[in-house]
Amino acid sequence: MAELSYREAVAAGIAQEMERDQRVVFLGEDVGGAGGVFKSTVGLLERFGPVRVRDTPISEQAIIGAAMGAAMTGLRPIAEIMFSDFFAVCWDMIANEIAKARYMSAGQMSLPLVIRTANGAGSRFGAQHSQSVENWAMAVPGLKVVAPSTPADVKGLLAAAVRDPDPVIFFEHKGLYASKGEVPDGELVDRLGTAKVLRQGGDVTLVALAAMVPRALQAASRLQDEHGISATVVDLRSLVPLDTRTLLAETAKTGRLYTVEENPRLCGWGAEIASIVAEECFYDLDGPVVRITTPHVPLPAADALEDNTVPTVERIVRTVVRTAG
Amino acid sequence: MQVIMPQLGETVAEGTVTAWRKKVGERVEAGEALFDVSTDKVETEVPAPASGVLTAILVSEGTTVKVGEALATIGEHGQPQSAPPAAAEERLSPVVRKLLAEHGLDAREITGTGAEGRITRRDVLDSVERRKATAPGGDERLSLGPIRKRTAEQMALSWRTIPHVLQAVEVDFHAVDAARAAHGKSAELTYLPFLARAVCEAIASFPLVNASFDGDSLVVRRRVHLGIAVDLGADGLIVPVVKDAAAKPLRDLAGAIHSLVQKARARKLRPDDVTEGTYTISNSGRFGTFLTAPIILPPQVAILSLDAVAKKPVVSGEDIVVRPVGVLAQSFDHRAFDGAYSAAFLHRLKEIIEGTDWSAALAEGRG
Amino acid sequence: MPTESGNDIDRSTRLALYRSQLEIRLLEKRAYDLFLQNLVKGTSHLSLGQEAVAAGFAVAMRTDDYTYCTYRGHAHTLARGAPMTGVLGELMGRSCGLMRGKGGSMHLTSVEHGAMGSYAIVGANLPVAAGAAWSAQLRGTGQVAVCFFGDGATNIGAFHEALNLAAVWKLPVIFVCENNLYMEYTPIRSVTAVEHPAADRAQAYGLDSVIVDGNDADAVYRVARTSIARARQGGGPSLIEAKTYRHSGHSRADPGKYRPPGELEEWMKRDPITLYRKRLLELDFGEAPLGEIEKAAQRAVDEATEAAKASPPAPLEVIERDVWADGGSSWRN
Repeated sequence: MAELSYREAVAAGIAQEMERDQRVVFLGEDVGGAGGVFKSTVGLLERFGPVRVRDTPISEQAIIGAAMGAAMTGLRPIAEIMFSDFFAVCWDMIANEIAKARYMSAGQMSLPLVIRTANGAGSRFGAQHSQSVENWAMAVPGLKVVAPSTPADVKGLLAAAVRDPDPVIFFEHKGLYASKGEVPDGELVDRLGTAKVLRQGGDVTLVALAAMVPRALQAASRLQDEHGISATVVDLRSLVPLDTRTLLAETAKTGRLYTVEENPRLCGWGAEIASIVAEECFYDLDGPVVRITTPHVPLPAADALEDNTVPTVERIVRTVVRTAG
Repeated sequence: MQVIMPQLGETVAEGTVTAWRKKVGERVEAGEALFDVSTDKVETEVPAPASGVLTAILVSEGTTVKVGEALATIGEHGQPQSAPPAAAEERLSPVVRKLLAEHGLDAREITGTGAEGRITRRDVLDSVERRKATAPGGDERLSLGPIRKRTAEQMALSWRTIPHVLQAVEVDFHAVDAARAAHGKSAELTYLPFLARAVCEAIASFPLVNASFDGDSLVVRRRVHLGIAVDLGADGLIVPVVKDAAAKPLRDLAGAIHSLVQKARARKLRPDDVTEGTYTISNSGRFGTFLTAPIILPPQVAILSLDAVAKKPVVSGEDIVVRPVGVLAQSFDHRAFDGAYSAAFLHRLKEIIEGTDWSAALAEGRG
Repeated sequence: MPTESGNDIDRSTRLALYRSQLEIRLLEKRAYDLFLQNLVKGTSHLSLGQEAVAAGFAVAMRTDDYTYCTYRGHAHTLARGAPMTGVLGELMGRSCGLMRGKGGSMHLTSVEHGAMGSYAIVGANLPVAAGAAWSAQLRGTGQVAVCFFGDGATNIGAFHEALNLAAVWKLPVIFVCENNLYMEYTPIRSVTAVEHPAADRAQAYGLDSVIVDGNDADAVYRVARTSIARARQGGGPSLIEAKTYRHSGHSRADPGKYRPPGELEEWMKRDPITLYRKRLLELDFGEAPLGEIEKAAQRAVDEATEAAKASPPAPLEVIERDVWADGGSSWRN
């Protein structure tokens, strides 16, 4: 066991896979020489050399296109898009090309690639550098979507993503890069499509993703200590594939489901979860499904504003207390 | 809730609202003067029937309305209430409904601890747990639910106060079976509706069995409100009543009985459904018993039980034939009439069951 | 432009060039007929008149090289050796289609022949071709990628990003612009800041400006041979502008009425196949081999047509297949 930061876990995960498989290559803006703008890929250029670790121009379409071309010709590329907001710049390559190539070619094309990116708010970067867009990726058939919340999950899920034969969009949370956690030594490979129950409770079920997970955990503590409400906390970890079994089982146990989502209100990932539960878990519901989300606004920049736009621990607690009766 | 024009005098049919004492949106307390009314007999002020907020005034000053018509609405917290507040049953969540059905519980038996007195999943589960609480020695203490308690009290009272006499007669259900077979499969056409129809007819000739005992007199009821005993398993008995059973053709009677029994099993009976019975039938034959001595439901004076109808050898003329035979047993209140009367009633019942053209009776009333 | 009839191209190569162009021509005409019979649905973008570019490069390529083309990709896919039955079957939505009816006319793909996709979004194939070239470079196999696109693509962002990256990383990719004078319905000249939409951009990426007569299969073959060899030897990318013309409209829905009168007739005089046949006769190939090629090509197209028509429609089972590598489309457990 070692304590690693979330950002160190990124580099460790990439390194583990590049070491194991010569076909794994890595490209992106400022990822090599600079070790990444978030310092999440420090040491990789030194360790694996300039042939397999490449710094690119500011050319998101070319970066993703290169990953696609390389993946379909025998390599297993990891491409970085610096801020997930920039997916909008290369969305054709991701949603129209990569997501559909296997299907349109009836299985001839194989694209075992990973696109990793820094997602989420909290860094005062403003509306175009703070979005949570994992729901955009969830909505496109042909993309697997992962969003880890802890360093151990980062390393293990990144390894699983690299080994996955399908395109995986790997959403790191920029607000979590400094967070620390225990990571097992040695080779670590997790499984996509598996949620984790981090806390078991009897009254309500909170389902969260990425940076909302620690907040849900803190809210669960306060709910217990201050209000005697016992909460289960589920870290969804993957949106596609979705661990519906765990979702439905944990919802049925309490009958009360709350989603804690960082994406803006409309069509956030929680809307899909709520719909699945309403359809398949209806007779176990003891009350309406409640979504706790960022309101449907672009994210403001000022610290006081940003902090109160995305769901806070306080807002999670208040919402549950108000509606759990 | 609605505020209506009150009845201000025996012959007063209408009144005129002369002045409103409160404005829409204002808080009113129960008993506080709400409006002034003028009739041809009297002028007076009318108090608010409940506390709340005056959410709407439907009739302006100077308007004359009939007694009983709506004048205004009073609501909670400024919310206009266009419909009566939902009964507790209607706020049951999906899992609560499911658990109630699974455990055979009645929502009315459970105290809700959720918001606004809502019954939560936990409340139902706790209720189930309490019932299972074990006494020392491994014995189980099952506390009686409200329905069971009520049944218990009623049975004890009846047994204590009514001198029961049991009389029975064997009946050949051959004619009924023929009509049922000809009609085809139907969940509604058990023996019960045929028996009910026969009872209504027999009562026409023996009206005393359809009476209420009232201390020193017997009130002979003109209309037959037929109680149908329904077994709710661990929770006891309930007896929904088919009102005016004698006026219904067989088909409709069958439908009415079926629907009442369904409602009873789903615990959806209203208070109106279980009152004013004048005679009761109990169909006890499910488990193959031969005879049951039922307990009369006061203030009724008799109750009839039909046990199992089974194929038996029967003498017909000089031959032995196989017929579906069941025992009809009536318990009667010996204060109301005697054995001969009861026996004659039973004999008439037997005649009707055995001799009616039941297929024709089924067809009756169908346009 | 003067054409060279030199002996730097051997006989069998020339026959291959002729055969390839002819097969493309006959198949594309057949595709058009099938559309008129309502057997080809949706839309089709035909390469009638542009055969020399596809043939010229395909014949110069190694079987393990990569081709990337656009929605006007029947010619390139066929030229790499994809079966005619598969191509016609795909256009008609049949089981025998190259992609079992999943992709359609605009997405013809045959990975086993190096046809790495036809890309319907203008410009999308350039970055992908650069990626395949990067992969070849990294793996050291000597493979190259050849990427075909129209004049219209030279104005889209992906074109510039791909060229820049390819040039900076010296990738073994040849970018071939088939300049047929029209970006869909608008003359390319009226929407482009320079005269030669591809060749005049080459300098911006440190590349040579190369223009070739796209209707002369020999000229195309020579340029192809040179640029491919250069790439294979580590010389980096090339940007080639092939001047050509399409006989039909942009797509089969377009009768091409926006063309000035006489323009089509002028270009028809320079039909690449007519020109090439003439040249082969001038080079003493004789009628016989040409006649055989023509008969064989017609026969092949006819047989493929019948086979494709006989093939049943794509089965409904394929609708939910092949989203993922495991062959399925499940997003949950």
